[in-house]
Amino acid sequence: MKTYILKRLGQSFLTVALVVMVVFLLLRLMPTSGYFERDDYINMDEAARTEYLRTLGVLDNPFVAFGKFVAGLSRGDLGRSISVYPRTQISEIIAQKAPYSLAFGLSAITISIVVGLWLGIAMANHKDKLIDGLGTGYIVIVRAIPSLIYLFLIQIWVSGLLGWPMIFYEDQPVSWILPVISIALSSVAWYAIWLRRFMVDEENKDYIKFAISKGMRRKYVMTRHVLRNAAVPIVQYLPAQILLTISGSLVVESIYSIPGLGGLLVYAIRQQDNPLVQVLVLLFSVLGVFGVFLGDVLMVLVDPRIKLAGTEKRKVQA
Amino acid sequence: MKLKHTMAEPAPLQMDQSTRTHGDVLLSAQDMVIEFNLRGRLLTAVRGASLELRAGETLAVVGESGSGKSVLAKSFLGMLDKNGRVRSGSALYRGLDLVGLKTEDDWLAIRGKKVAMIFQDPMTALNPLKTVGEQIREVASLHRGLGKSEARLLALDMLSRVGIPEPERRYSQYPHEFSGGMRQRVVIASAIACGPEILICDEPTTALDVTIQAQILELIKGLQRDLGMSVLFITHDLGVVAKMADRIAVMYAGQVVEEGLSSEVFYDARHPYTWTLLASLPQLGIKGDELFSIKGTPPSLFKTIKGDAFAPRNPFALKVDFEYEPPFFDVSPTHRAKTWLLDPRSPRIEVPETISRLRSRLTETRAEELAGKAADLAARTSRTKKGGGR
Ligand SMILES: Nc1ncnc2c1ncn2[C@@H]1O[C@H](COP(=O)(O)OP(=O)(O)OP(=O)(O)O)[C@@H](O)[C@H]1O
Ligand SMILES: [Mg+2]
Repeated sequence: MKTYILKRLGQSFLTVALVVMVVFLLLRLMPTSGYFERDDYINMDEAARTEYLRTLGVLDNPFVAFGKFVAGLSRGDLGRSISVYPRTQISEIIAQKAPYSLAFGLSAITISIVVGLWLGIAMANHKDKLIDGLGTGYIVIVRAIPSLIYLFLIQIWVSGLLGWPMIFYEDQPVSWILPVISIALSSVAWYAIWLRRFMVDEENKDYIKFAISKGMRRKYVMTRHVLRNAAVPIVQYLPAQILLTISGSLVVESIYSIPGLGGLLVYAIRQQDNPLVQVLVLLFSVLGVFGVFLGDVLMVLVDPRIKLAGTEKRKVQA
Repeated sequence: MKLKHTMAEPAPLQMDQSTRTHGDVLLSAQDMVIEFNLRGRLLTAVRGASLELRAGETLAVVGESGSGKSVLAKSFLGMLDKNGRVRSGSALYRGLDLVGLKTEDDWLAIRGKKVAMIFQDPMTALNPLKTVGEQIREVASLHRGLGKSEARLLALDMLSRVGIPEPERRYSQYPHEFSGGMRQRVVIASAIACGPEILICDEPTTALDVTIQAQILELIKGLQRDLGMSVLFITHDLGVVAKMADRIAVMYAGQVVEEGLSSEVFYDARHPYTWTLLASLPQLGIKGDELFSIKGTPPSLFKTIKGDAFAPRNPFALKVDFEYEPPFFDVSPTHRAKTWLLDPRSPRIEVPETISRLRSRLTETRAEELAGKAADLAARTSRTKKGGGR
């Protein structure tokens, strides 16, 4: 187990390093005109432009620049934003925005697990009945219609109907509800459809039939055997999903004016705010890769069939 | 050269009369009709099958693939697929008609406790994520109302009973740590942990290799003897049947077409379909005998079948076979067959050479074994009678 964890940690580290390096180099290939405001660019002469680019560090040898970036990181210095929040410490930007994305994301995950799994179980237990039909309808709508459309409809109609504020106000808790639900909608559908299929598939397996033929109640078999087994794949993906909530929901945060991290990366790339892009890419890839790593480790703990090199037990003979 | 012989010729091996009327009838299925709804079309998988299972005996149900063996057996546990139902007939278990059981609660009184079933593939019959011990303990607490530690002891006992070495260690292992044969032993242990009176084995050794097969068959036999269970043994392997069965029921196209003591069916089969089955015994090693390699395919179960379902494939078919379904004709008090050939009005036919040759071969090689089996059965039956079940 220990060697496995060390090996996987090493792999994760390499992956992150590679991602960050590639993004760093790609950023240097962007046209330099993108670093200027339109008016500035027209008003500056060639020398002033070069001077400006030099202060940005864009003209440095990319490898030297990368070294500087890494050295800064090791000192805990994430650098300053250039164009999105001029001259603001990036660590400060993240510290301010991340809590919003995290809070909304985690609430939404909790809801989607609770509601999604409940819906999936109900649909599997009443296959081809009313609830299954309603659930399927919901899933199809959520997955087939572009989210922007129904999210807007919810924002406008539901808030109007209930008299709730249309956008997010930090001091009005009711205004938090619709964004959370909006983020959860599609993952509720995802969990429900997945669990329904899992349960229906498992129900036709021999071990379930055998269990029932031995006189166990269907309900007991469903909870103690099927649901328990469903935990394995869930446990594998959950850590990455939880950690990545920090990146925020682009659409929901923008329509409700939530000051989270959602969309910040896209915006920073468009503005060619290189330091900000670098840090965000680093952050998201570390969290993503670490989440996958955690998922794999948890999976080993819950699924006895997965044997690890190094912990391989003596193969048992007949 | 073909041997002439009349239908009334006595069986070459007479078994002791006392072994013919062994224990009481435990399960009696009469005229079972089971149908499935397949996208609006009705498939009649079992078309009026009847069989009886007596206390302490092993009844083998044989027949080619699709003849309805599994479907019939599953109906005794209320485990038909959702699109299937028993349309008519009765299955009396100690006076209780299983066909009348509808709700899960009704069936809970039967499943496991009274009737348990072992499936064909031991690789898929266990939950891969639970230890084998847990899976046995679970049924032990359920059916015997035992607390955790008592149920654990019982599970350990079951594991050693089915011949698993080091049960203490094996208890907390997962199914993937067991080989196929060992897994089938675990499956058997968890079925008998319920304490059933009837054990249905649906091709329990088909998925295993030959040496393991023999061990599992021995195990089932031994357990049956020790626990006084009745076994309904489904297979298409007549070699296995010869080893296991006290009595045999031959199924064709959803009906039982011949039924008798093992010796009667092996030595004195009367239904042409049974002949084709016997002729396919690899043990006989007869080559180039074209007559009895079975031709054609079973009838479609979607249509109503007119006359004898086997007629189109039967080289001995009479005109009447295509018109009227034959009734059962008794050959002996324990042996009957559903073929017009047994009607006194039918012409005498020559029993195919293969079959008569088979008789002499079997008589040579099997007489001893069958005699042993008869004694064995007598002993078992007297025990079940005394014990009044379990
Ligand atoms: N759920 C179902 N829906 C439709 N048809 C079914 C269903 N289950 C079984 N059948 C049909 O019933 C018939 C009998 O099936 P059954 O499984 O009892 O055969 P079997 O004698 O056990 O054969 P095998 O030796 O291959 O196991 C087959 O024609 C099969 O296709
Ligand atoms: Mg079958």
